[in-house]
Amino acid sequence: MAAISEAVPQTADQYNEDILAVLKPPSPLYVLAVLGLLGLVGAGVVALAVQTYFGMGVTGLMHPVMWGVYITTFVFWVGIAHAGTLISAILFLFRASWRNAINRGAEAMTVFAVITAGLFPLIHLGRLWKFYYMFPYPNQRGLWTNFKSPLEWDVFAVGTYTIISILFFAVGLIPDVAAARDRVTDWRRHLYGILAMGWRGTSEQWRHHSRAVLHLSGLATPLVLSVHSVVSWDFAVSLVPGWHTTIFAPYFVAGAIFSGMAMVITVLVPVRRAFHLESYIRLEHFDNMGKFIVLTSTIVGYSYAVEFFMAWYSANPYEQMSFWHRAFGDYWWATWIMISCNILVPLPLWIKRVRMHVPTMWVIAIFINLGMWFERFVIITTGLSHEYSPAAWGYYTPSWVELTILAASFAWFLMLFMIFLRLFPVIAIQETKELHYHRAEGH
Amino acid sequence: MATVLGVLSDPKATAAALRSVREAGFDEVDAYSPVPSHEIEEAVARGPSWVRAWTLIGGLAGVCLGYLMTIWMSYDWKMVVGGKPFASIPAYTVIAFEFTILFGGVLTVLGLLVHGLALSKPNGQAYRPAFSSDQFGCLVNCHGDQIARVQELLNQAGCSEVRVVEG
Repeated sequence: MAAISEAVPQTADQYNEDILAVLKPPSPLYVLAVLGLLGLVGAGVVALAVQTYFGMGVTGLMHPVMWGVYITTFVFWVGIAHAGTLISAILFLFRASWRNAINRGAEAMTVFAVITAGLFPLIHLGRLWKFYYMFPYPNQRGLWTNFKSPLEWDVFAVGTYTIISILFFAVGLIPDVAAARDRVTDWRRHLYGILAMGWRGTSEQWRHHSRAVLHLSGLATPLVLSVHSVVSWDFAVSLVPGWHTTIFAPYFVAGAIFSGMAMVITVLVPVRRAFHLESYIRLEHFDNMGKFIVLTSTIVGYSYAVEFFMAWYSANPYEQMSFWHRAFGDYWWATWIMISCNILVPLPLWIKRVRMHVPTMWVIAIFINLGMWFERFVIITTGLSHEYSPAAWGYYTPSWVELTILAASFAWFLMLFMIFLRLFPVIAIQETKELHYHRAEGH
Repeated sequence: MATVLGVLSDPKATAAALRSVREAGFDEVDAYSPVPSHEIEEAVARGPSWVRAWTLIGGLAGVCLGYLMTIWMSYDWKMVVGGKPFASIPAYTVIAFEFTILFGGVLTVLGLLVHGLALSKPNGQAYRPAFSSDQFGCLVNCHGDQIARVQELLNQAGCSEVRVVEG
């Protein structure tokens, strides 16, 4: 087992030195990895081109399952985005200072995840070029969008979340970009100079900056709770058995935080190792993230149980049939992957020694990512494939086009994150340094 | 007018230096800091930030616009559903909520850009890269004949370096 505590940087300058060292010119291995990811993204673009040219017939989407891998992946990536805002905004308001070392990486992950998520409704549309129909704009047909539709709420919720996440991320970056401007000597000095917008760290600038961060946190906190609630209403407001339930909003929000925390661990473990950031991303961070996973895994597990209980207790034959089908029908394997990965695999995290063991945490986090993708797959496909009339039951198998685009979305997300790593400080310098001064003052 | 810069190495000492020069009657002070510090903010004593007004205006504009837009559009293109009202306030609350956050957030950032960056005029001559790393700057504006007194105060406050930037 790794040591319980790593050495804390001793001087304030060491924070700049260590964190900005990540921005050094990339190694050939890094370039190769980015090119490999770019290749996978290219494969996704080819698959999308095939779908756009030949139409949605190349996908496995067929009556009665008209939502499949695309909507599953959309919900998955929106969920992943939630941990960043939880760590940046909610934990900021709760003054949880341990967040300072991981908030930048988590925020970047949020931005890239929500951008990735936003692509999927467009891909699912089939006719990509008609996407602007979702927005209310004056047109010669004289009609407006239907604001009573949860799908339209989603447009506004995810759109707002994307914009606010990017703004929050950018505002937090300003002082660190100025620190990078003051240290690098190559062409990036000009880039950072422009992005720092004249930041000098005067008390006047900090006064407005701190207030802006506080207000953005206050605004982002209800936003993060609302976005996945709105996404859950895409399902819950319909009449599909297995979807039409009031538990969906809290169940989805807990699931989002659960999967998002797992993705933060998945992404930060290799970064910590590759860039020798053990003094910053410390075991206590994994311990705390592990506790979040235990909490949210318990909520998610309880929600699964309540869904099955309510189906039985309601005495509604359609609801009962839907959940029987979920556990023992055509998609039993997906349901049991979901239950195993989301409830059973995280159980060892109740033990502190496991939470403090980074390789084990990483493996568990990857299983949770898998389980949470399957959760959305199970909800969507089992619900749609067995609705009311047996004559309209069906089975959905994703096509190579859908699976290629799914794989490309992971490559796209990782590629964006890797490019970010080399351009901007992956750890918030000024926020970690704040803790250094607090420690020095004996707080 | 002249500007005197004192350099320190921690926020507590910087706040103490700023308080001592202010107590001596020099109210035109500012500070450079690599981290946000409430103590320095209180010592400079500029009052609450205007950013909060931008957030409030943005949030109020957002909620009003969210309801007005959805209600007006529902009546401009009427959709008859089982004799129900054309405008559905509970459904539109989702849009109004999202607009509150969106406009509140965008105006917060605009407020920061206006007050913190566009209107703020940091002293470029006094700035040094170490102020984004591990040093703190204490800036005092004074008349030419008061320079010696300010230098003395900053030295007493523990500044590792004191120099006249302008004047």
